[in-house]
Amino acid sequence: MSLDQAGPAAPPAPGPATRTAGRRGAGAVGRRRNGGRSGRRWTPWLFLAPALLLFLYFKFIPMVSALTMSFQEVQPYLGNTWVGTENYTTVLQSSGFREAAWHTVVLAAGQTAGSMALGLALALLMEGQSRRLGFVRSAAFLPVVVPIAVVAELWRIMYHPTEDGMLNSLLGLVGFGPSGFINDPDTSMASIMLTGIWRGAPYDMMIFLAGLTGVDRGLYEAAKVDGASRWQRIRYVTVPGLRSVFSILFILAAIRGLRVFTEVFLLTNGGPDGSTEVVMTLIYKLGLEQNRLGVGAAGAVLLFVATLILTVVVQLLRRRESK
Amino acid sequence: MRRSRWIGAGFLASALVLTSCTSGPAGVDAKQDPHATLELWTRTKPGGPGEQGTLRLAQAFEKATGHKVKITAIFDDFETKLQQRAAQKKLPDIVMNDVTQLGAMHSQGLLREIDLSKIKNSKDLIGQGLDSGKSVQGKQYALPYSAQASALLIRKDWRQKLKLDAPRTWDDFAAMAKAFTTQDPDGDGKQNTAGLAAPLSTKRGYASWYFSNFLWAAGGDFITESGKGTYRPAMTSKASVEAMRWFRDLGCKDKSVQPGSVTMDTPPTNETFEAGKTGMFVVGPYLLPRFDETLGKDTYEVVPMPKGPKDATVLAEGGSVYLMAGSENRAGQDAFVDFAISAQGQKVGMEGDTGFVVQLPVNKTVNISQVRPDPRWKTYAEVYLASGRYAPSIPNWTPVRQATADTVNALMADCGLDLQAKLGELDKQLAGILKEQGIAAS
Repeated sequence: MSLDQAGPAAPPAPGPATRTAGRRGAGAVGRRRNGGRSGRRWTPWLFLAPALLLFLYFKFIPMVSALTMSFQEVQPYLGNTWVGTENYTTVLQSSGFREAAWHTVVLAAGQTAGSMALGLALALLMEGQSRRLGFVRSAAFLPVVVPIAVVAELWRIMYHPTEDGMLNSLLGLVGFGPSGFINDPDTSMASIMLTGIWRGAPYDMMIFLAGLTGVDRGLYEAAKVDGASRWQRIRYVTVPGLRSVFSILFILAAIRGLRVFTEVFLLTNGGPDGSTEVVMTLIYKLGLEQNRLGVGAAGAVLLFVATLILTVVVQLLRRRESK
Repeated sequence: MRRSRWIGAGFLASALVLTSCTSGPAGVDAKQDPHATLELWTRTKPGGPGEQGTLRLAQAFEKATGHKVKITAIFDDFETKLQQRAAQKKLPDIVMNDVTQLGAMHSQGLLREIDLSKIKNSKDLIGQGLDSGKSVQGKQYALPYSAQASALLIRKDWRQKLKLDAPRTWDDFAAMAKAFTTQDPDGDGKQNTAGLAAPLSTKRGYASWYFSNFLWAAGGDFITESGKGTYRPAMTSKASVEAMRWFRDLGCKDKSVQPGSVTMDTPPTNETFEAGKTGMFVVGPYLLPRFDETLGKDTYEVVPMPKGPKDATVLAEGGSVYLMAGSENRAGQDAFVDFAISAQGQKVGMEGDTGFVVQLPVNKTVNISQVRPDPRWKTYAEVYLASGRYAPSIPNWTPVRQATADTVNALMADCGLDLQAKLGELDKQLAGILKEQGIAAS
């Protein structure tokens, strides 16, 4: 940006002066002020630069690279060759991908709804100022901080499909027969979903707890005075007060659900009989196990687009609601 | 356009330039330096006994030839990391990896052809081992340094308690599996044991890998060669269907396969045998040191697999030495592979109780009984020679293994599925894979 361009933004020189002198004076002030302003303009970028460079190198370049790869047959040593939209056709025409996409949507919806419902219930139960509650909240939050590999191994043990398995012995106490859980195509998806809800709910609980502090206590008291029941207070005071929390959590949980990988990979690897195959496990198999990186990249781009659309739609809905 | 937008556009353009730089054509032959240190990658756990064994082999090689070797042990995502080096056009000089990786690495141009006239010890290689290093066109692109084949591990105490003989036929096998499942062989008063340990997860294609021992013994096949390096799907052949039906009945009718097998890969399956939950396990010799430690040598025995409807063919596997393209020390590469398959190299590779890199020798002048007096190793060596069969060297075996694993897993997980229809679907899928790889029979 030149000084002349900066001129109009500078105030006119005060006092009686010739036109030339005035312009010169304005230029001097403009130069001084512009110098200061441009310094201020660059300062945040300088602070952001390290993070941006890291993002560029480890996030944006790989993303562009994946986009490029999705149009190529990837052969790193021989040189990649352009194949146009062939990889996308392969992915979209594969029945495996369509099934995996459906499983992903079901799992994402189930885990999102389950985690939010359980998270809200836990938050309502653990809301308050008591010191003991802090300990209970930390304990409830443990599933989030435990590594997912450990979580998967714990649930694998709990899901042991014989009568002496941990969950099956509980089922036996109430008269139900042993379930195959992750080993039965009919129950595997629900089992993975349950593990996801167990892990995701405490995270949602913490966000809800933070949101609950912003709900006006006076509204509860007014509702109570008006004779509202506990359920009515939750429905007409708490839930509307948490609207923005709900939408943020929904986006976070839905993205988490669409990108589900580790628990499925560790517990079932998409089996049995492909009943828990999700897009991410399929991409992993195509790209890294079968060395078809171009096809895998096309699947990843499609998943990215789906996630982006979901996020934008939710944001638009939020904006419309706030208007 | 505002300056910030120009900056953004600049970043994006730089990213595109940088990413496009990674996809140029392969480099030409590197300038040769016979004194250059050889970079060797081996697929084993870093810091584990496998790495120690490879270091011993490398030290013996350095002493014998004067070439220097730098070892890198990688276990997780080995192939991905190799692809990253391929993208940088800076491959390691030597890779020691599974024999089944030949097709994938060769088809991507990562390997250089081996001139057998320069590898004097290649004349001593066991024939099927030598063949395992040939590409689909019959050219030598790898040499094996270690072999293994599957044999049957049986809980000896259980077998003796139930007064059973080691199985000689598939009927004996099924009967023993059923007896171990229903007759309380561990004597705890509960029916909490299973006859057969089987990793039937789809992970890395384990279900297919395990089932191949039964499929081939029945005379069936995943894909069958139709001449001139072409293949056709074979999972709907009579023998393949019968093999699948028989194997499925072990799980679905007799309930003789361990519960949860369809989501188990090898570690949890190994644990069922160690924990006394399963009585038979078809597996290679690499687990003997582990089971000797956890179960005790006398608790279990090793016998050849019983004869199936056709013969006693079992899966043969192992590790190969791959000489990577673009090396600046091809003489050193040749010297290493020559040493690895020599009698001296094989013996060094077999040293140690746990950290041996050579399971069964591939050099026919090496007598395993002299290096390892344990008769169980001799059993494995005899099985490998008499009945071992490698997976075919097609451009990419992994999709075939993955597709067949998915189907075996499905049929074992859901006993209500129509077997014939499912195998028909698999054959269609295999036909597509073969076509994609350019080796489908017309």
